[in-house]
Amino acid sequence: MNATIDRQEALATAETRIEPGKRYGFFTDTTLCIGCKACEVACKEWNQLPAEDMALSGTSYDNTERLSATTWRHVRFVEQMADGSGERAAGDGSAVPRPGDGPHNAAPDRWLMMSDVCKHCSNAPCLEACPTGAIFKTEFDTVVVQQDICNGCGYCVPACPFGVVEIDQLDGKAHKCTLCYDRLKGGLEPACAKACPTDSIVFGELGALDRRANERVRELHARGVEDAYLYGTPGSPGATGGLERLNAFFLLLDRPEVYNLPAAPSRPASRILPALGAGLAAVAALACLAGSIFAERPRR
Amino acid sequence: MLDRPTERLARPYSGETYYERAPLKPAHWDWTVSSYIFLAGLGGAAQGLATLARFADARQFAGLVRNARHLGTAASALGAALLVLDLKTPGRWYNMLRIVRPTSPMSFGSYILTAFGGLSAFTSFSEMVGRRGLVGRMLARLAGIAQIGAGVTGAGASTYTASLLSATSSPFWAATPRHLGVMFGTSAVACAAAALSLGERWAGRHASGRRLDDIAFFATAAHLLASLSWTRRLKREGIPEAVTSSPSGRTLNTGEMLVAGAVPLAAYALNRVATSNRDPALSVIGSVAILAGGLMLRHGALGLGKETAEQPRTYFGRAQPAQSKRLRDRR
Ligand code: SF4
Ligand code: SF4
Repeated sequence: MNATIDRQEALATAETRIEPGKRYGFFTDTTLCIGCKACEVACKEWNQLPAEDMALSGTSYDNTERLSATTWRHVRFVEQMADGSGERAAGDGSAVPRPGDGPHNAAPDRWLMMSDVCKHCSNAPCLEACPTGAIFKTEFDTVVVQQDICNGCGYCVPACPFGVVEIDQLDGKAHKCTLCYDRLKGGLEPACAKACPTDSIVFGELGALDRRANERVRELHARGVEDAYLYGTPGSPGATGGLERLNAFFLLLDRPEVYNLPAAPSRPASRILPALGAGLAAVAALACLAGSIFAERPRR
Repeated sequence: MLDRPTERLARPYSGETYYERAPLKPAHWDWTVSSYIFLAGLGGAAQGLATLARFADARQFAGLVRNARHLGTAASALGAALLVLDLKTPGRWYNMLRIVRPTSPMSFGSYILTAFGGLSAFTSFSEMVGRRGLVGRMLARLAGIAQIGAGVTGAGASTYTASLLSATSSPFWAATPRHLGVMFGTSAVACAAAALSLGERWAGRHASGRRLDDIAFFATAAHLLASLSWTRRLKREGIPEAVTSSPSGRTLNTGEMLVAGAVPLAAYALNRVATSNRDPALSVIGSVAILAGGLMLRHGALGLGKETAEQPRTYFGRAQPAQSKRLRDRR
């Protein structure tokens, strides 16, 4: 797998040389996102993914609604009002106020947009769960499902802490973002990153991406945007509970939950030993008891 | 790192969601998987009990051992069929044995099930051949060795399913791995003793039936105690309403507390006190209740895992450990 890639278009479009053995990912800077959905479209086109049922969701401009087996980029739209209504007000479990509800018949005061994607976790829970070996780590340190091996057991689906991977009902195999594995092999940056007009999505080698992201956070803080923080870099929210880091990480402005992300996800495999150990211990204790009951002299 | 976290980012989670959308995707598994979990528990623990009974007195418990062997074989065959049925690409079931992955209970569980099924089938085969002739005697001797393996892998088959569910991100499954293990383990032993007791009573071997009832009694008592502690623990882990309010929650609660708990305990106790264990009817009631409750427990637990995966507050509320607390402390 050490063959070098001759044509390096990514050098021109993403200032990145793509070399097998190095770690690659996305840095998605949500402060730059304008919600154009070019990433969603580019992803569908390159990966030849079919359109899904189209309808107006009533939740801002987010009619895509979710990542799925056939949607691998998903732009979220969070509308927030200065008076605290909107997303943040829904904490009591009441219905979510929508723009136009209540007193303000106005545009939102703040609009957060975020292009979500598979996080290509370092200790990927989907991969750790997959019993067939269909999910593997590529030479670019990305996480890819091999549909010619997957048997549709569905274990990766509840394993993912971010609700990303899904089984397609038509072919019965798991599908998700491949970080454009085929393009990387040809020296091309992933389609979404290339299409993004604001560079909200940046593709690159992890070291360079981390530097760029930290620089951006510092810059934003200096400009007074003190809420800016990274989600998914080592030691930050999202990279918790043994996940180590997310190769696709984000710069966010509000709590992770506002973007439908868990603040502190954990690695499911860490729960195997407690469950199995406790179960076996209970069975062993009852076995001792059963053994003595069987061995008792006949009573009558 | 949360550099200079502002007030809003550092305060505890207060229920924010993204349009109430599901943060996770639920497993597609349905009754086939919960029935498999039940069968693996039943057959696995039955072979475990048979191993112990053989050590204690192979002659007296010969009937019990024969039933347990056939039960183990049938349960693993039927269970494997159910698992294949559940695959979205069933033609590729054999890929389950393509690799070994210790981080995946579904992977090592496939090997446990394969070993358990194979060993059980061998012990069953020797029962069918009988002890006559040189071949029969040799088979029986080998089956005695295989029986130990069947007992050990049976213990694994009856409990690894708890780690299968726990090693996911679905809140209800992930919340209490240890309790889930104990619940599945105690229920498996109770179910196996109950099923074998039914066989003994049916064949009129009341002496061994009584012993099995005693085992079922203690396993049920342990099960009930564990389920009481489980309920409290779930509350601490932020999953109280789900357990009591949804249909799956009610199935689970009724199954573990009443059907597989209070009813059999009362039946066995009554049998012991009132009729000095002579009334097979009460024993049968207790055994049937344990089996029905064991099935309900698995169905309810499976359903709750899928439901809670789609509840943003249940998931986000739990995915808030030290992180935000540490930030608050630092301020
Ligand atoms: S985000 Fe989910 S699907 Fe993507 S690598 Fe991580 S666990 Fe797998
Ligand atoms: S559905 Fe396919 S990719 Fe997912 S865990 Fe099962 S075999 Fe692996």
